[in-house]
Amino acid sequence: MTVDAESGMDRATHVPAQKPTPPAIRRWRRLRSAAIVLMTQGAILAVLLGLWDHVTENNKQAAFMFGSPSAIAGFLGEMVRDGSLWRDTYVTGLETLLGFLVGNFVGTVIGLSLWYSRFVSRVVEPFVIALGSIPIIALAPIIIIWFGTGLISKVAMSTLSVVIVALVTSYKGAVGVDTDQINLMRTLGASKFQIFLKLVVPASLTDIFAGLKLTVGFALIGAIVGEFMSSSEGLGHAIFKAGSLYIIPKVFAALVATIALALLLTFVVGRIERLLMPWRRIH
Amino acid sequence: MTREANGVSATQRVTAGADVAPAVPLVVRHVAKSYEVDGRLVPVIGDLSMTLDTGQVVSIVGPSGCGKTTLLNTLCGLLTPDSGRISWYGQEITGQPQNVGYMLQKDLLLPWRTALGNVMLGLEIRGVAAGEARDSSHAMLDQLGLHGFADHYPSTLSGGMRQRVALARTLVNEPAVLLLDEPFASLDFQNKLLIESDTAKLVRERGRSLLLITHDIEEAVSLADRVIVLSKRPTRVKAVYDIALGIERTDMMAARDSRDFSKYVRQIWADLDVVLQ
Repeated sequence: MTVDAESGMDRATHVPAQKPTPPAIRRWRRLRSAAIVLMTQGAILAVLLGLWDHVTENNKQAAFMFGSPSAIAGFLGEMVRDGSLWRDTYVTGLETLLGFLVGNFVGTVIGLSLWYSRFVSRVVEPFVIALGSIPIIALAPIIIIWFGTGLISKVAMSTLSVVIVALVTSYKGAVGVDTDQINLMRTLGASKFQIFLKLVVPASLTDIFAGLKLTVGFALIGAIVGEFMSSSEGLGHAIFKAGSLYIIPKVFAALVATIALALLLTFVVGRIERLLMPWRRIH
Repeated sequence: MTREANGVSATQRVTAGADVAPAVPLVVRHVAKSYEVDGRLVPVIGDLSMTLDTGQVVSIVGPSGCGKTTLLNTLCGLLTPDSGRISWYGQEITGQPQNVGYMLQKDLLLPWRTALGNVMLGLEIRGVAAGEARDSSHAMLDQLGLHGFADHYPSTLSGGMRQRVALARTLVNEPAVLLLDEPFASLDFQNKLLIESDTAKLVRERGRSLLLITHDIEEAVSLADRVIVLSKRPTRVKAVYDIALGIERTDMMAARDSRDFSKYVRQIWADLDVVLQ
């Protein structure tokens, strides 16, 4: 009782004197909670795969229609051995990456520069909305006519899937900058270009990165759809070919590689975000 | 203590003198400003005249919503008045006046810049060499009691510290005139007194002029040489007080303890004519 009262007093009068948790213990706690999350995720995956395997094990029809984890693993092994997994993943990865980079670069540059002129942005707005509402798949036949059946047409598909989203998110970030902050820059004597460079661009980074994360998936869709239309390699090609031949486990095997590619790209974007926005890390 | 029965005539007397001497930092004559709301013209500033002399600290107090911020934005060239004249150092200018520092209740620190980076902003914009900008920004942070916090991001600083960084960002540009709009309104009492005292020191020691817009009467009286009381909208000058406390004007606690302090506060409070709504 007295001990409680004393420690209560102590806390009330010497708040800053409270011992901070040592960094080693804090790190260990963080690691432990991360491990628990990872283990739970692994358990869910194992249960789902187990159920899938169990249902398809003694049922030939189900195994044909839905594949099975063991058959998928078998095809993955085969694709690793004959080298097609690396080749297809590399091809699709390259198309996706190029489309992602070109589309985001072009979209972000245009989106941010629209901040410069209210007039131009108002003129351009309906065109952007119109272009953004076109389903990219509808453009695929024309793109193949324009750019052929090689790498360039897939990169073009991927770029087109990305560019409008990148434009809209970066523009939204740029026009969302606090007016008071712009006024402050003006009272400090900043020119419009200085306001753009020192305030608008960094302030838009949060929205730009939200767009980047979103467009990883879009870039991949563009590349895969491009491969569906006409191709001789790539994960989309593998999926399309296996699907046409009713080899469903092989479709899933190529899908696993596609998912892995998407996760890898998202991870890299997240890392770059942490690197470029160090002030977001401390809280 | 000089209580002017008619504040307008008092300011007019002062500004009349100011017209002859063009070195007066800020002269405002008969400024009016309206906003258009739903096609109707709403007058915000009716007819406002005032003067800020070199080395003088002037506080403007007024009832809530009397257009204090509109006034400040008009003074720094962010808004254009409908009529009237604003002259900085005897010249009417368009756009931002030179050598004037501006600070609001919101600290407006850039979250991606450290405390030092935020303080350096104005120097960077003016093209001051990086090394020099760094040195003077460090010195300014040290003067405001932020030694050792230069590399902290704003998100890791307390409200009082952030406002100190904002003050450092304003002062590092060596402005001859400071325009402050409720800069300490969001701070707790202790922090407010400390930063008010520091502001008073940094302004008075360097002979700077300060125009402080506030709704805190005690803040206005304890800091200022002159308090201008504004009326409700459309705003005009209701009364002007020259504050004589007979003490060193950099200690806010001493100012509050001085003999005439509460008399000024009571009179200004009466002028504001605040009624419960």
